[in-house]
Amino acid sequence: SLVIRGEKDEQAVLCSKDKTYDMKIADTSNMLLFIPGCKTPEELNADPSSPNIIHSQIAGFSNNYWELRRCRPKLKKLRKLLMEDPYEGPDSRKDQALTFSKYTTEDLLSLIQASEEEILHQLQVIDACKIEGYWRILEFDYEMKLLDHVTQLIDSESWSLSKVPLRTCLEELGSLEPREMIEHILLSYGRKYVDDGEVYFEMREDKICRAIAQMLLRNAVKFNLSEFQEVWQQSVPEGMTTRLDQLKGLALVDRSSRPETISLLKVEDLPEDNQERFNSLFGIREKWTEADITPYIQDLCAEKQTVGALLTKYARSSMLNGVKVYNSRRLIS
Amino acid sequence: MVQIVISSSGTGALAQWVLVELQGEVEPRQSGSLAGSLLGDLHYTREGIPVLIVGHHILYGKVVQLEKPFAVLVKEGGAPQSGPGAPQGHYTVTALIKTKLLFKTRPKPIITHVPKKV
Repeated sequence: SLVIRGEKDEQAVLCSKDKTYDMKIADTSNMLLFIPGCKTPEELNADPSSPNIIHSQIAGFSNNYWELRRCRPKLKKLRKLLMEDPYEGPDSRKDQALTFSKYTTEDLLSLIQASEEEILHQLQVIDACKIEGYWRILEFDYEMKLLDHVTQLIDSESWSLSKVPLRTCLEELGSLEPREMIEHILLSYGRKYVDDGEVYFEMREDKICRAIAQMLLRNAVKFNLSEFQEVWQQSVPEGMTTRLDQLKGLALVDRSSRPETISLLKVEDLPEDNQERFNSLFGIREKWTEADITPYIQDLCAEKQTVGALLTKYARSSMLNGVKVYNSRRLIS
Repeated sequence: MVQIVISSSGTGALAQWVLVELQGEVEPRQSGSLAGSLLGDLHYTREGIPVLIVGHHILYGKVVQLEKPFAVLVKEGGAPQSGPGAPQGHYTVTALIKTKLLFKTRPKPIITHVPKKV
């Protein structure tokens, strides 16, 4: 079946098992009559014994109907709900207290305007995990602590970054943290595979470097770019190489300031609505190059829509020092 | 959050209805009501062109396969259920409409034959 979902202050959406659609009322000046059992010419031709007169009743008529248009599922709320009570680890006193900010899959289905599959997929994307039946996001410091345990172990055991054994991790780290959490961090930051009956993880360099950058950047508003790059490279595990393109959608580099700086800007903290997103971005920076703005608008693209199309619609382009830049179509105070 | 379920009406294939689209409005004769009144006669020519006779007007239309078919929904009665997670409304799909007869040409009045003056 299909479900129409929405809070009283939200626009209604229709959800199937795996897709979400905006619902709109469409008006027409024409009159639409619906007739049960009315036959089309083909059907009459096919039936040679049809009587001369068929009495049909018009079941009803209307000037409007509901129209569906496939849309992006409204998933920003999902992260917001799970961030109400991030999991800080088994030692945290918080979890022992009864809190109402915990959500099961059923709860999420009744709160988020999206289909079940889209919700489950997004839970995977944001590395949520199920603890005691509730979906939880790890608190960032706790997540970094878990990651640190794993990277230290990889270093001390001199394992290859692409062959980290699950069994040994659980044995060595099981006394420090819950086994489910160790496995969860490996699943979040590595690619699982089986070799000769044993489970291994190929660690994801880009994701690990990105997390460490976030850890460094959240401590101040802005960083000197070259200083940051140095500290960042020193902070990542042995054998990993940092690159600025790992930080797309996470950090913004300002190449117009002297010295060049870098600051944290997470796409998931920006508004979900297209116009509001662009207003917010142009409020942060007046003119953007396509390369800089793309990571911050990529997720707005509808099926078959390109970033270029979005820019044409919501921005105005001009040339600055020989480079094409985009600015707002409207006045931003 | 409000959750309204739309489900199909159980067993069997869904009925197929036809949509008739008219430009303008249909008014009942002599200020009666539309319900129970006769609209008119629908014919098809040998070429499959629908012809609608309403009152003393004749309309020619065409059969159109709908690019986006319609579903006819009927709201299930009863007060909305309370309690979190319980659906607060229920629609059943009664029928599908994949074809429409579109009448968008101007209705022509049918005038009985007036013999020419000899």
